[in-house]
Amino acid sequence: MILLESHNYIIQTTLAEKAIKPSSLDVQFVDFDGVRFRLSTPERKTSLLLSMNIRCWDELVNYGVHDILVREYGGLVKVQPEPEYNVSLEIDLDQIPPEGEQRDAFIKSISLLKRNALAAPFERGFREQKQLEQAGSGQGELMALHYRDEEVIYVQASPDRVTVIFSTVFREETDRIFGKVFLQEFVDARRLPNIQSAPQVLYTTRDPPLEIRHLPGLTDSEDIGYVTFVLFPRHFANPTVAESTISHIQLFRDYLHYHIKCSKAYMHSRMRHRVSEFQKVLNRAKTEAASVDRKTASGRSMSTFSR
Amino acid sequence: MDNFRKIDIDQYDEDVLLESELYEPDPRDPAQVLDDVKQKVTAVRSSLAKGDITGALDLVLDNAPYGPNVDEAKNINLQTLLSILNSTKATEIPGVVKALSTDAQDTLMKYLYKGMAMPGWGDVSGSVLLGWHEKLTEAAGTGCIVRAMTDRRLV
Amino acid sequence: MSNVLRPYLAAVRSTLTAALTLEDFASQVVERHNKPEVEVGQSKEVLLNPLVISRNENERVLIEPSVNSIRLSIKIKQADEIERILCHKFTRFMMQRAESFVVLRRKPVKGYDISFLITNNHTDTMLKHKIVDFIIQFMEEVDKEISEMKLSLNARARVVAESYLSAFNS
Repeated sequence: MILLESHNYIIQTTLAEKAIKPSSLDVQFVDFDGVRFRLSTPERKTSLLLSMNIRCWDELVNYGVHDILVREYGGLVKVQPEPEYNVSLEIDLDQIPPEGEQRDAFIKSISLLKRNALAAPFERGFREQKQLEQAGSGQGELMALHYRDEEVIYVQASPDRVTVIFSTVFREETDRIFGKVFLQEFVDARRLPNIQSAPQVLYTTRDPPLEIRHLPGLTDSEDIGYVTFVLFPRHFANPTVAESTISHIQLFRDYLHYHIKCSKAYMHSRMRHRVSEFQKVLNRAKTEAASVDRKTASGRSMSTFSR
Repeated sequence: MDNFRKIDIDQYDEDVLLESELYEPDPRDPAQVLDDVKQKVTAVRSSLAKGDITGALDLVLDNAPYGPNVDEAKNINLQTLLSILNSTKATEIPGVVKALSTDAQDTLMKYLYKGMAMPGWGDVSGSVLLGWHEKLTEAAGTGCIVRAMTDRRLV
Repeated sequence: MSNVLRPYLAAVRSTLTAALTLEDFASQVVERHNKPEVEVGQSKEVLLNPLVISRNENERVLIEPSVNSIRLSIKIKQADEIERILCHKFTRFMMQRAESFVVLRRKPVKGYDISFLITNNHTDTMLKHKIVDFIIQFMEEVDKEISEMKLSLNARARVVAESYLSAFNS
């Protein structure tokens, strides 16, 4: 699995299961970027309540998340979300579409709740770009999305493009160095003929890009990296393309860090193998004969703790 | 007040071993050593001009400066030796090292290690020294390395 | 083995063979102690001249012989930041397993990446030439391993970047 999926697997499987055989449940689970979910049946078995807590909800509200959720989920959105959560969907299992493609699509759309919420600033950016293009000049509002404690997504529309900037923190030196290698490849990969139409990628460590340099409170440290994606109108020319672009770009940070972790795990397994090879070489140097299996009077093997 | 506990009392021991007791000091005066070394530079150059590498090496390795207070002489001698080593063709090395006396071989080995301990100094080139080291070990055996390790008269 | 590396490893091999002439030797300073003299460093007369074998500033081996133990420290080639971190990770990984590598020191000597301490106990229970083989093989393969890990990191980064960006095409 190279690419990450944007829907939540737990929501998808649980809903599919409960749709066939309703039963009471109360589960809490999480998704990327500290998003918390709760899926419960507060009243009756057939009425599921899905609630989501997302760190940057207030910002999302400013960028029009309500409109998107109403568009996607219509009457499912509860006016008053469950306490401690930002948004709740009420799913009546008696009224979901019949088994088959329709139901799968419905469940899938529920499991995309996080993706749809996070789509707000991007959709707004794309709309603004269209307006600016007609006006011929100007700059859209710089929309910041504090989606993690120390990491932010910035979205800004211009007449000819939408700029998306990720700030990402590398917790330790290995991550930082691996991250650099990966990001350099992102920059270089665009030169390949088959992905020339991909968005342009730029990255800097420490120095924030021009668009956000004026913002207060930017951390000044070696561990922080900024990745800029330049989305051109072709990346959101029609709703289908725009949708896939949004799902894709949202997960960039998770994707990058996921693969850094994978590389580290791979390095570790390599080292484990190599070190055991070295161990074998060294063991060949040992002269002692294999230790004799000593027995106690009762016939059991004596065991020693020494190697 | 507790400082007296940290005094190294062993240094006041009558039997304590001093650096100077580890080997016989050079009978020559430091100034004279420096003079000798400087004279050798020209002699070596003329030997090299004639293509007599063994002769040049013999000159440099004979009476090489050792011990304290002669750092300048040591450096000059190393520099002279390096100029010989660097100008010798790889194919000539085996013949040259075989022709050296055992003492000269030992001293050469000491110089090779000294050179490798200072990578980047002057004309030191790791690959040249390693080439010489390999051929010298083939000719003189590991005993030569052991003598370089045990001889306190550091060049 | 590449031809450039051969004289270097040959020099380490011969020097190490020469230095591995160890005998049991009780401490002269503390009664009833028997410690690796090269680590204690209190009796000058039992310490021999440390020898350095180097290819260049970034690749060298320090051999510190003494009467009952030798310490061998290796500085591994690190061309850039990635190799530096990989080398650090690898040596750390090994040193954390020092108890199963009996001759490995838990900490490297200052200025080096990894150190081995071979005592007379080791030469008594192990074959000397095999210990030398081990050190040489380690030196040979550690370089290879680090450059392979670097290549695989770059290859993965490329695949990751390409598959992410090509998804925008659809």
